[in-house]
Parts: sequence; structure tokens; C-alpha cells
Amino acid sequence: MNLAAIVQDQTSHAEAVLFYLLAPITVLSAVGMLLVKKAVHSALLLAAVMISLAIFYILNEAPFLGIVQIIVYTGAVMMLFLFILMLVGVDSADSLVETIKGQRILGIIAAVGVGGLLIALVSKGNLGHRLFGLEMANGEGNVQGIAKLIFGQYVWPFEVISALLITAALGSMVLAHREPDSDKKDQRALSEERVRQSAQPVAGLPGPGTFARHNAVDIPALLPDGTSSDVSVSDVITARGHLAKPGDFKFLETSDDDREGN
Amino acid sequence: MSLGTSDTLVYLIAIPLFSSAFLLLGGRALDRVGHLIGTAASASSFVVALIELNKMLGRDAESRGVTQHLFTWINVGSFQIDATLLLDQLSICFVLLITGVGTLIHIYSISYMAHDIDRRRFFAFLNLFIAAMLLLVLGNSYLNLYVGWEGVGLASYLLIGFWNQKPTYATAAKKAFVANRVGDVGLSLAVMIAFVQFGAVTFDGVAKGIEAGSASSTALNAMGAAILLAAVGKSAQFPLQAWLGDAMAGPTPVSALIHAATMVTAGVYLISRSNFVFDNAPTAQLLVVIVGAVTLLFGAVIGMAKDDIKKALAASTMSQIGYMILATGLGPAGYAFAMMHLLTHGFFKAGMFLGAGSVMHGMNDEVDMRKYGALRKVMPITFATFGLGYLAIIGIPPFAGFYSKDKIIETAFNAGGSKGIILGCVTLLGAAITAFYMTRVMLMTFFGTKRWDSAAHPHESPWLMTVPMILLSIGSITTGFIFSNGDRLKNFLAPVVDKHHHEHETELLAPIVVTGLAMFAVAIGISIALAKYSRKTIPASAPTDVTVWTKIARRDLLQDDFNETVFMRPGQSLTRVLAFLDKRVVDGAVSGVGAMTLRLAGDLRKTQTGYVRSYALLILLGTVAILAAILVVTV
Amino acid sequence: MNAPNIEYGILGPILIVLAAALIGVLIEAFVSRRYRYILQTGTAFAAVALAFLQLVLIRQTSSKAAVSSMSIDGVTIVLQGSVLIFGFLGLLLIAERGFQSFTAQAAAIPGSNEEQKALVSGLQQTEVFPLTLFAISGAMLFPAANDLLTLFVSLEVLSLPLYLMAGLSQRRRLLSQEAALKYFLLGAFSSAFFLFGSAFIYGQAGSTTFDGIRKSIVESGGSDQFLLVGLALLTVGLLFKVSAAPFHAWTPDVYQGSPTPVTAFMAAVTKVAAFGAAIRIYYFAVGGLVWSWRPILIAISIVTMAIGTVIAIAQKDIKRVLAYSAIAHSGFLLTGIIALSKDGLNATLIYLFTYGFTTIGTFAIVTLVRDSGGEVSDLNRWAGLGKRSPLVAGTFTLFLLGLAGIPLTSGFVGKFAIFTAAYKSGNISVVVAGVLASAIAAFFYIRIIVMMYFSDPVEDGTSVVIPSAMTVATIAICAVATLVMGIYPQPVISAINSLAFFAG
Repeated sequence: MNLAAIVQDQTSHAEAVLFYLLAPITVLSAVGMLLVKKAVHSALLLAAVMISLAIFYILNEAPFLGIVQIIVYTGAVMMLFLFILMLVGVDSADSLVETIKGQRILGIIAAVGVGGLLIALVSKGNLGHRLFGLEMANGEGNVQGIAKLIFGQYVWPFEVISALLITAALGSMVLAHREPDSDKKDQRALSEERVRQSAQPVAGLPGPGTFARHNAVDIPALLPDGTSSDVSVSDVITARGHLAKPGDFKFLETSDDDREGN
Repeated sequence: MSLGTSDTLVYLIAIPLFSSAFLLLGGRALDRVGHLIGTAASASSFVVALIELNKMLGRDAESRGVTQHLFTWINVGSFQIDATLLLDQLSICFVLLITGVGTLIHIYSISYMAHDIDRRRFFAFLNLFIAAMLLLVLGNSYLNLYVGWEGVGLASYLLIGFWNQKPTYATAAKKAFVANRVGDVGLSLAVMIAFVQFGAVTFDGVAKGIEAGSASSTALNAMGAAILLAAVGKSAQFPLQAWLGDAMAGPTPVSALIHAATMVTAGVYLISRSNFVFDNAPTAQLLVVIVGAVTLLFGAVIGMAKDDIKKALAASTMSQIGYMILATGLGPAGYAFAMMHLLTHGFFKAGMFLGAGSVMHGMNDEVDMRKYGALRKVMPITFATFGLGYLAIIGIPPFAGFYSKDKIIETAFNAGGSKGIILGCVTLLGAAITAFYMTRVMLMTFFGTKRWDSAAHPHESPWLMTVPMILLSIGSITTGFIFSNGDRLKNFLAPVVDKHHHEHETELLAPIVVTGLAMFAVAIGISIALAKYSRKTIPASAPTDVTVWTKIARRDLLQDDFNETVFMRPGQSLTRVLAFLDKRVVDGAVSGVGAMTLRLAGDLRKTQTGYVRSYALLILLGTVAILAAILVVTV
Repeated sequence: MNAPNIEYGILGPILIVLAAALIGVLIEAFVSRRYRYILQTGTAFAAVALAFLQLVLIRQTSSKAAVSSMSIDGVTIVLQGSVLIFGFLGLLLIAERGFQSFTAQAAAIPGSNEEQKALVSGLQQTEVFPLTLFAISGAMLFPAANDLLTLFVSLEVLSLPLYLMAGLSQRRRLLSQEAALKYFLLGAFSSAFFLFGSAFIYGQAGSTTFDGIRKSIVESGGSDQFLLVGLALLTVGLLFKVSAAPFHAWTPDVYQGSPTPVTAFMAAVTKVAAFGAAIRIYYFAVGGLVWSWRPILIAISIVTMAIGTVIAIAQKDIKRVLAYSAIAHSGFLLTGIIALSKDGLNATLIYLFTYGFTTIGTFAIVTLVRDSGGEVSDLNRWAGLGKRSPLVAGTFTLFLLGLAGIPLTSGFVGKFAIFTAAYKSGNISVVVAGVLASAIAAFFYIRIIVMMYFSDPVEDGTSVVIPSAMTVATIAICAVATLVMGIYPQPVISAINSLAFFAG
């Protein structure tokens, strides 16, 4: 019994049409995923493959699997992919120039070889099996059938998968989680540090003319000891040579007694 | 021969083995008592041996052998190897020699090594040696013997290099190691041949297999030759003799125990033990004789030219073992005499080495005999014991060596035909040369004028050293008579080495004539030595205006030069080539043994590009191959 | 429908280790950093010891468990016992804190200030302990799995922690991360083949359990294409895990890049687990197809031995030499599977048991030879080690002789047993190749020994550090095991012979 006959025999027309429609799309998407340059295109093609697969599952009367495929893979996993692509940059692309001699040729040969050999071997096989057990599996409904398998025959591997998931979570923590940097300074520490560095005036730079007799822009501020402060006047004025001499603007008759009195 | 069982044999080995481990693991805490523990362990083992001997003598001759099954070593499928000990007449001789002489040497070492900071480690190694040597002689199969064989090799390596701070000593240890490895190849070959031919590696199994005729004579000759190669390596026989002289770098008690009395005689044991092989392998047996004859002359000639007292004694050991190997090659008649010479030699040579050690002890570790002279008055006990050993080795009646060597010469003459005459003459010549060089050693060391270094203040050694020397010299006086009186040792050993009761064939010369000839040869040797060394004063440094022959003899008959030309040079060139190739690895290219492996390794390494996609490709190609193979097998 | 019955007692050893791993995760989450190390090590050691105890208690079991997902029989007991022992030794090495093998902070960028800071402040990734426990549990599940799905899940439970741990090396961070990524990618690649194969087999057999597959082979006469294709693809996945050629390429890179304690752990434990699983599949599940897989495995075994030994000669990094040696040993071990006999089964288990000790000991010593920058793996700098540190060099020599299979070491016993079994099963070609490969292999082991003893030491700061009691204990246990099983292997051989049976 050849392949076409089997399809005729066991497959409804609608199913066959859908299959022949989707199969090339799936394969082309899969191949394209490997060949396109931009990561984001690759991700979208992957999504296409996954959706096609979901449709195949549903066609094969495994609706639960199909839906889960869409929700989990096309929904959650693909979204994660895309998030990461957005972080990396949508435009990021890999160089597809092959540097290893013979790699590409051999790769194609090997891929064709595996495919060809698989087809050769399988075609020699006994393909005439009738579908059986589908009614039994879906007898109580597809979801119930899967539940029976997961919590019945395959309960042990199903439980063991939890170890795998925890390992994965732990692993991502190990690889991605950094210790908070204990040396990073908070605001308080920063301000205290600023005070300690006495070279810098804590309250900001003095404006021009502070404590002097005039407050024009070209008149330097006076420091408590009576000397003038260079930083109080804009560099431009200093460079132009417009700077007034500080001595000119001193309070003239100041004596020690006066200061004490004040 | 039926074998009983005994469950005490294991103590012989276990006591020194545990003591050794205890001393090594105990660390510095045991430094103060380590030597006592070691000596006690050896002595206990000796006591066990005496008890076993007593039990053995209580049984009749045919059922004296006992075995003890320790454990099944490997049992995979139908193939089984057991660790079983076998104590029969042959092994008891060795056990008594090893533990007895061993204990005396332990006692001697207490004093000799008193100032060495590593005395505890030394005793641990000595104990390890005793245990391994006992395992060697007690194993009931070639494989068990092999274990002991490697064990004594290891212990010997450790002890020769004990003072490995000096690079030449470490080199000596390495030389011994390499020579022994060459011999070991022989032993492993023998084990393989036995396994392939007889499916058994026990002595019993091989003997039965030969009796059943399940091996061709070629195989037996090959096995014999392989065994001989092993013996040659271990017993420092020609052409693997070069290491023994250098091995004298080890502490003198080690030279006495390992390189005179016990380990170097393991080859003799191996050949005697394999008598069932050699009795059926005439070609291999002839080889044994040739090796023995060559070595006995070779060693004797080297002995004549050596000024280093220990090296002179080492050359003499080589020569004496040559006698034993020669005797074992003479078939059933020879085994017992080889054993007898081995035992008496164990006593007198160990005694002489201890004497040499005592002299060195008194002379600031000076080994050059030209710097000795006139020591008989300051070291009377050493002189007396050494002198008794001397009388024994040159074969003066009634000392031990006379009985044993005389018997070997006699057997050699009786070997029949021209072979007998040649061998007889070789052994006689050897006896004369032995007399010459041993007299030379005596004269240079104990007689003549003082040629001491100004720093030397010779004195007699403490009693812990002299007592073992005295006991050993008593052995050198008495053992010969005890063993040969009424063919006692020969009859004792006969059930093991001479199962078919060969009777003596025609006698070429009457025993009394042989004795006369031997005495005459010895007398000539002594007279020449007296003439040469007692009249003139001996120069304190070796004369340089000597004949080319003396020069050659001084260079160990060019044995090192020979090795260097024949083995080392090509080896070195090979090493250089390899080193060159090796260097190219470092430079990022390739390496390997031969050009093919090299290129292969290089090509294969190219697959290891470090790129994950290459690896994936490799996996994919592998999958293609497997699928293709499936396709092929299903067609 | 009734609730499925889970046999908690005989699954106990696995459950104990899994539980401890979960506790380890909770410790990471809730316990202050200061106490984590001590709690993690305590939990891990206690769990492995308890699991071993439980294993001893159930040693007579021979039945299927967890709805035929698992097979707890003599073979499982031996393999799980080996895994637990090697896991314990590996944990001892991983717990060593006398010197730093693990990165202080895996998330830090290699070479950054942050990494330096983390190192100086003495941070450590204690997550490695629960990861190790997960790996151990995976290694215990893998050889006990009795259906393809459980087998696949166990494979991943074993592999995933190893991928992570490979990337935690302190020394040469980038190389380590690269190794982890390579291992992960190639592991995923080979898992795909594995799954593909499982699907084919299920398609033919209608069952994922090994019993079902076995039955279907008997019924179909074993000539079905789907089964064969499935087996071929399954073989690819398994051979990747045991690092047989040509699926071995990851091994040298990963062995070199991983922190050495992890290399030690994975070299021993993965090998036991993977060969354990392989032997259950080839002996039990698809034993009926021996005519199809034997020639393939023979070819692969010979190629593996050849590649492992020949390339090892050209290596100059000690860890890479040992990696190629591990590949060669996979080739030797495959001969035990090829034998397909009770002898072959025994021999494989014995070989695995002896090999584990030797290989862990070897890597343990590699952790000790260091300079200021960390481990020194350049072989040239090991020259003259025998003169500087005779004890360490002596022990290393023992391990190398063990790997080379010289008599009086456990390696000889293993090799002898496995080659005898292959010989008796009539597969002479593979035995000849094995003996030849052993001879070549002896060359590079002995070259290292010669280098250590007969070369002059190079004064370049290479020295042997004094480790804590944990590494010392590991090395001592491994050395004693290598020696004792070489001198007196019979008790171990007898014990394994009497235990090694499959549950029918």
C-alpha cells in the first residue's frame, strides 16, 4: 500500500488539503529560519513553524497539545525570544560568512545524507499500519486521555521533570544574578564624602562680588581672610583681562578691633 | 609429590610488610624506635621460618612441600588466578637465607646507619625488601613470583638511591632500574608463553603441561630463553651486568643484603625453580651455561682491576653468581650445587661486605683500597671475619666455598665431551683469578703500609656491627661441610629439582683429581698476588702507566662503553629525534612516535577546531555513517 | 482509574538525593551567606551517605517500579552505588576551599573589576552543591530508567547541571564559559537525535517501556525498519553522552574548561551513568537486534580507541591528555557492551567501578599543581615534579599506571575482565584493537611519568599546594582503591557478579 493510498484511506479530504498546504510552509519556514540574517526574522519564522505544528496536532485529533503548543511556545516562549531581541537590538544580525573550509559543503552533504538515508530506510519499512487506538485514547476526551497518561503511566518522568525545571531556574540565577555591589555609595555617603574633601566648597561656588563692595560679574568674591577667590569669576572674564583687582574693593579701614567687635 | 597445607606461611611475609608500612606511615614519631621495630620484624620472620623448617623436617621427603591459599586474585569467567604461597625444600633454603642473613644485616645497620637522619625510612625499605623477596620465593606461580620480582626491584631501586641527594647515586639507581626492566620483559614474556601454551601460570601447572607434552620444543626453548633474560637482568649476568657495580652507591648493608646475598641470586632461584622447563629445552639450557661461563670470567677479570673495595666485591659477586648460573645450566646434577654455592656465598659474601662496611666506617667512608693498608692491627675483628670470608671464597678447605665451588667444578668437568672440558677449564681459571683478586683485596686492605688519609682515624666498629660479622663468618666456616656431608642438601632438594632421580653419568675425572686441580689453581692465583702486592709498596693512587688490558679491565671491560655504543647512542639519537619532534608540538605543529602516528595525530587534531559547528557537523556525519551502516546490514 | 503506585522504598536513594537538592535550593534562598557553605556541604554529604545506606538496605530488590518507568534490579544497585560513591568523592573535591577552583561570581564579566572584587571579598557560588546533587540524582535515574521517556528526562536531569557547572571555573573564565556553551549546544543537538529515535521506536513498538520494546522485537522478528532507524538515532544520543567517536569532540574542550573538581566528578559519574543506561538498552531492550548494532558498535569502539589514544599523544595540556584518555576508555568500555554476555555485563560494571576511582584521583591531583595564577595544566611545567613532591608524583604515577592498565592496579583488572569477555564472545577484532590501543596509551601515560621523574624541575613558580583534609581524603581513598582492587579484586568482582542481573 503506497503512501497516497494510506492518505486516501485514513485521512479526510479537508485534512489532506490542509496538510499539503501547510507542510511546504512549515518546511520552508524552518529552512528559512536558518538562512535569514536578522534574528528577528528568524524568530518570526520559528513562530510560523510552531503555529503550523500546532495545526498539525489539532488535525491529528490532539487538540490539547495543539492549544498548549500555541499558548506555551508561540505565546510565551516566542515572546521571551522577542523581548530578548528587543534588548539586543532588532537590527542585530549575524555574519553568515563561513570561515571554516569545507564546513558548509560537508554540512549540506551530511544534512542531505541524513534526510536521504532516513527516507530510504523508512520507505523500506512496513507502512501499512492502520490507525488504531485513537478512539481509545480520546475515548473520554482528549484532555482526560492526556491527564491519564501524565498522572498514570508517565507520572514518574513527569515528576522528575520538576527537578529539571528547578535546575534550570537555579542555573539562570547562577549565571545572571549578581551580588549587589556593596561598595556602591548612597546619597548620604556621597555628601559626607564631599564635606570631607575640604578643597571643594561645600555650599557650592561663591558668586562674583560676594563679600566685596560691588557685586559686578568682574569682581571676585572675597574669602574670609580677605583674599579674593579665583573661582568666583567666570573664566572668560579672566581671560579677557577684565578682572578687577581684588585689593581695589577691600573694605579699607578694617582693623583687628573692628572684626572682634563685629 | 603431594602438597600439604599450612596456614602460617603468610606470617613470613605479613610481618615485615606490615612493619614496613607501619614505619613509613608512622612518621617522625617512630624515629627513635623504628630500627628496633624493623629488626624485630625481620627476626620474627626468621623465627617463623625456623618453625616451618622444623615442621618440614618432621615430614617425609616426598611430602615436605606445603601451600597456603591466600585468596583468589582474579576470577573472570573460567579463568582463575590464585594468590597461593608454596613452601618446599627449595624455597625454605631461600627463606632461611633471606630472613637469617637479613636479620643480621638489620642488626648491623642499627649501628651503621645510626647517624643517618632517615634511619627509620631505611629500615622500612629493608623490611619492604624482605617481604618482597619472600613473596618472590614463596609464590606458587610465575605471576606471584612476578609480583615479588617487581617488589624487590622497587625496594632495590629505593635503597640504591637512598642517599639520592648525590646525583651520581640517583643515576646509579636509575641504571639498575633500567637494566632490571629489560630483564622484566623476559619474565613477562615467559609468563605469557606459559599462559598461552599451558593455560596455567603455576609452577605445578606448567610442569604438568610439559609432562603432558602440550608444548613444542620451540615454545619451551623460547620460554627458557625468556626466563634466562629475566635472570640475567636480575642477577647482573652478561650482558646486563653493568648496573651491579654502580649499585654499590647504596649503603653498604644494602650491598650486603641485596646485591650479594639475596636479590641478585633471584635469577638462580628462577632457573632452578623452572628446572622442568630447562630439562626439556636443551638450547635454552646451553645458553644458560654460556651466560654463566662468560660472566664468571668477566666478573673475575673486572675484580682484578678495581681499587674500590665495594666494586671489587661486586665484581666478585657477579663472578660467583656466574658459577651458580653455570651450575644450573648443567641440568639436574647442577641445581643442588648451585643452591649450595648460593647459600654459602650468601654467608661469606655478606660477611665480607659487612667487613668492607666496617672498614669504611672506620676510614671516613673511604672506599679506595689504595688508601687503606695495615688495618689488621687496628681492626682485628673485622680482619678476622673478613679473612675467614676470604678463605671461604677462594675455596680453601674446609671453609664453605671449597665444598660448594669444588662440586661445581666437578660437575662442569662431568658435563661430558668437549663441553665438559671447556667448562671445567673455565671454572678452574675462574677459581685462580678469584684467588688472585681476593688476595689482592686482602693485601691492600689489611697488610702492607699505612696509606691512610691524614683525616682517617681507623678504629674497630661497635659490637652491634661486629657480632653479625662474627656470626656470618661462623657460617662461612661451617655451612659447606654441613651441606655437603653425605650429600645432605642435594638429597634434601632432590624431590623438587631432580624428580626423576638422575644418576651421575660417567666421571671424566675423579673427584680427588678435580680438588687437586682446583687447589693448584688457587695456589697459583695466591702466589701471583703475593708476588705482585706484598713485596712492593702499593702506590696510594692508581698507577697510570699500565697496559691497555688493565685500563680496559678498570673500565669494567668496557661494559659501559659497549652499552653506550650499542644501546645508548642509538637510543640517544632516537631520543633526540623524538625530542625534536616533541618540540614541534610545542611550536603548534605535531608530534608522536613515528611519522605515521604523527601525521595521523596531526590530521585528527585538525577535526578539533574548537568551533561548535564543526563538532555538530562531526556528529551529523557520524549519524550519516550509522544510518548508512543500518542500511547496509538490512539489505 | 486508580492512582498509580510509586514504590517509595526502592526509589528511596534517588528521592533522598533529590530532596537534598531541593533543600539546597531553599538554603540558597533563605539562609544568610555566612552559613550557606557549611549547611550546603552538610546537606550534600549527609544526603549521599543516607542514599547509599538506603541502597544497601534495598540491595536485594529486583523489580520494576513507578509504573514500569524504572527498573530497580542488581545492575541498577551496582551502578547507583558507584554513582553515589563517585558523587561523594566528587563532592569532596568540589567542597575544597583551601584554594579556589570555582569562580567567585559566575555572572561577573570575565576580567572585569567586578569579578576581581568578588574574588577579593571571598564570595563563592554555593549553588554548585544543589547542582551537583541534581546531577547525581540524574546519574542515578539514567541507568535505572526503564522507558524511553524516563530515560530522556533523566538524561537531561543529569546533563543540565553539568552544563552549568562546566562554566564555573575560576581559572580561564572565558574558556570555561565557552566550554559550557559548547557542551550545552552539542548536548541539545544530540538530545534531538535521541528523541527522534525514541519516536521511531515508539512508532513501531507501540510502547516506550523497555519491556514493551523487547516484546515487540520478539514478536516482529526484529526486522522492522522503524525500530532500526530508531535504534540508530538513539545510539547517536547515547554515544554522545559516553563520548565515543565521532561524537567525542566536546570532551577535550569541556574537560579542559570545567573547574577540575567538576571534571573529576563528570568524568567518573557521567561515564557510569551513560554506560549504565547503554548497557540496559543494548542488553535488555534491544538485545534481540544484536545483529544490527554489534557491527556498528565494533566499528565505533575501534575508532574511539584509536582516536583517543593517538590524539592524546599530541596533547600538551594535562587535562586534555586525560580527556582523550577518557575517550579511549569509552572505546574499551564499548567492548563490554559488544560482548553481550553475563561476563560482558560483569566486566563492564567492574571496569566502571575501578575506572571511577582512578580518574577522580587523577583529576584530584591535577587540582594540586598550581602557581600563583591557579592550576598549572601545561604538561611541560610538570617536569621534575617527582623531585619536588615525591609523594604527589608517586600517587599520580599510581593513577596513571592504573589508567594504563598495568598489573597490580585496578585498571588491569578491569581491562582484563572486559577483554576476556569480548574475546569469549568471539569478537576478536575489537580485542586486538583494544590491546594495541592499550599499548599506545601506555606510551603517553609513561611519558608523563618519565617527565615527572627524569626531567629537571623548571623553576617557574609551579608548586604543589597543601590541600585540606577533603582533597587529601579523596586522593587517599582513590589511591587505596586503585591499589587494593589491583592486588585483591576478588571481593569486588564476586559482589558485582552476584548482583548484576536485570529484572525480567
